[in-house]
Amino acid sequence: MAMQSQAKRELLALYEEPDQAADAVERLHGAGFEDNDIEILSSTPYPEGAFGEGHTKHRLFAFPFAGAACGMAVGIAWIVGAQVSLPIITGGKPVVAVPAIIQILYEGTLLGAVLFTVLGVLFESRLPDGVGLYDDRISEGYIGISVMARERRLPDAQIALEEASPIDLLSKEGSLMHAPGTT
Amino acid sequence: MIAPEAAGLKLSLRPPYRPQALSISLNHAGIALLAALGVLGIVVYVIKLITAWGDRAEWAYPTVVLMFILSTATAAPLIAYASRMAKGYWALPLRRVAALYAVPSLLSFVLLIPIMASLPPLDGRSTLWFEFRAGAPFLTDALALAILLLTGMALLWFSAVPDLAGPPSRVRAMGRWQRLLYLNWAGTARQWKVLRAANLALGAFYLMGYAFVHMLLTTDLGQSLLPGWRSGIFPVYSAVTGIQAGIAITLLTAALMRRFSPEAGRFIGDEQAAALGKILVAATLMWFYFFWSDFLLIWYARLPSEVAAMQVTVAITYILPFALTGVLMFALPLALLIFNRVRQSLSLISGVSAMIVVGLLFDRIRFFVAPMANPSPFGHAMTELPAPYWPNALDVLFVIGFIGLMIAVFVYAASRIPVLNGWEMRQGAMLRKERTFMKTHVYVIGKPD
Repeated sequence: MAMQSQAKRELLALYEEPDQAADAVERLHGAGFEDNDIEILSSTPYPEGAFGEGHTKHRLFAFPFAGAACGMAVGIAWIVGAQVSLPIITGGKPVVAVPAIIQILYEGTLLGAVLFTVLGVLFESRLPDGVGLYDDRISEGYIGISVMARERRLPDAQIALEEASPIDLLSKEGSLMHAPGTT
Repeated sequence: MIAPEAAGLKLSLRPPYRPQALSISLNHAGIALLAALGVLGIVVYVIKLITAWGDRAEWAYPTVVLMFILSTATAAPLIAYASRMAKGYWALPLRRVAALYAVPSLLSFVLLIPIMASLPPLDGRSTLWFEFRAGAPFLTDALALAILLLTGMALLWFSAVPDLAGPPSRVRAMGRWQRLLYLNWAGTARQWKVLRAANLALGAFYLMGYAFVHMLLTTDLGQSLLPGWRSGIFPVYSAVTGIQAGIAITLLTAALMRRFSPEAGRFIGDEQAAALGKILVAATLMWFYFFWSDFLLIWYARLPSEVAAMQVTVAITYILPFALTGVLMFALPLALLIFNRVRQSLSLISGVSAMIVVGLLFDRIRFFVAPMANPSPFGHAMTELPAPYWPNALDVLFVIGFIGLMIAVFVYAASRIPVLNGWEMRQGAMLRKERTFMKTHVYVIGKPD
């Protein structure tokens, strides 16, 4: 029973107007919910903070750096491999001259950075799980405010969301505002 | 003030405006012609593969086409990146058009393989790679181009996902890999933020890759095959004139979209011409700056081997393509673009753009035919000037057919992926409003990121 009260459940409210959605976020904050518990879903990107939400953190910018380091390592291995496999010294010059080294390192670094950025986008898009509750009306232009709340705090979340006049309020079981079978 | 098209300011957010892909039909004479040219391009490519594998001179004009694609289609996505970076809302209706050129750019890789296979050994000739032989130049150049093309496709795909994914229920019903491809799109604030950051990061990598590929290919397919041609400016010249032609082909495409696509056409107008026209003037001036910088050094230094190479590409052997280039890429465009009326009219500037694109073809002929057709690329100087290598019938068909194929692939891509970036245009409509200011009207633009 105690475990059940610790588990988080999700509510999703749909709003017609951005101002209503912003009002909902403000009321959720007022009810003590953290930014981490709140998710905003929209079919058009709104400026960050438009709904009063906190700064969304992501780590995409770490991926190119990690990739660049890996790619540069591959480049170094390529150069060292060339030097080791063909150790013929012509006129006292190194097998791999510095300009050629720079080109190979640049290429390896760029390759790693691009590949890791692509992987980073997939990772940061929360693949493969994605978001929990969803509703197709969001892709029709309505704004969704989703909140994760512990069982005992669900009523607080529901009140905060309802006070901002949503057109619908959904839980995992279905709409909390309409009779079953209607939309 | 050149006003944006009214339709772009009145986009609906609920229901959200969703752009459509081009509707094409083979019954349309233009589309049928493009399809025929595309087939011709494939046929002559296969003929070349069968009859001319390893024969470098036979791949001289295909090299021209390769460098033409790299300087038009491959350069165009840079406009999408640059306008995102500079927050240029005027470019909103053009970003997808420019990014879509990543698809026909893939043809450059198809050309690169047989061309690289026809190159002579590096020993005994000038090369970027010095004594490095572990895969150079074939593997190094192919890998560099592959990175650039991959980045271009990633840029196009990521920016298209919000327009293509549809409602979350559709995404959830997809198979695992398809969902991965669609980024499990739901439109969360986090997904939007990651998407914007990815567009900027990949755009920056695209620019880095573009400059690098031009450096490698202009050297491996140009300078290192013509003894005496030593220029540190030429790779930059190639990249910058590529940007000039990339702008030109984007303007040309925009004008055609306005003419033939009623849906896209209502968002495209003189605002785009006026903004890109300024950059086109700058790029046209850059053509002369880089040409003159290169020319003056060699003129002043008077090293016989370098002068001979300049006589090949400029003064004697390929003087006709050079003259056409000078007129079509610099003199005429500059003379026309200095007039506001030309620069601020999409119809008029598209005519200038057509000139620049044709001029670019002659420019690439004068630079890449002589090295590829040169029978003796070894040593540090030419013993005598080579005769011009004019195209035979198959070469002419190749150039026409493959460029036709490039356009056909673009049109096909535009018939599968919406030609407008719906989510960016909706955001633009939300953040750009016309307001009365004293006795005039101004546009108030929000730039939050």
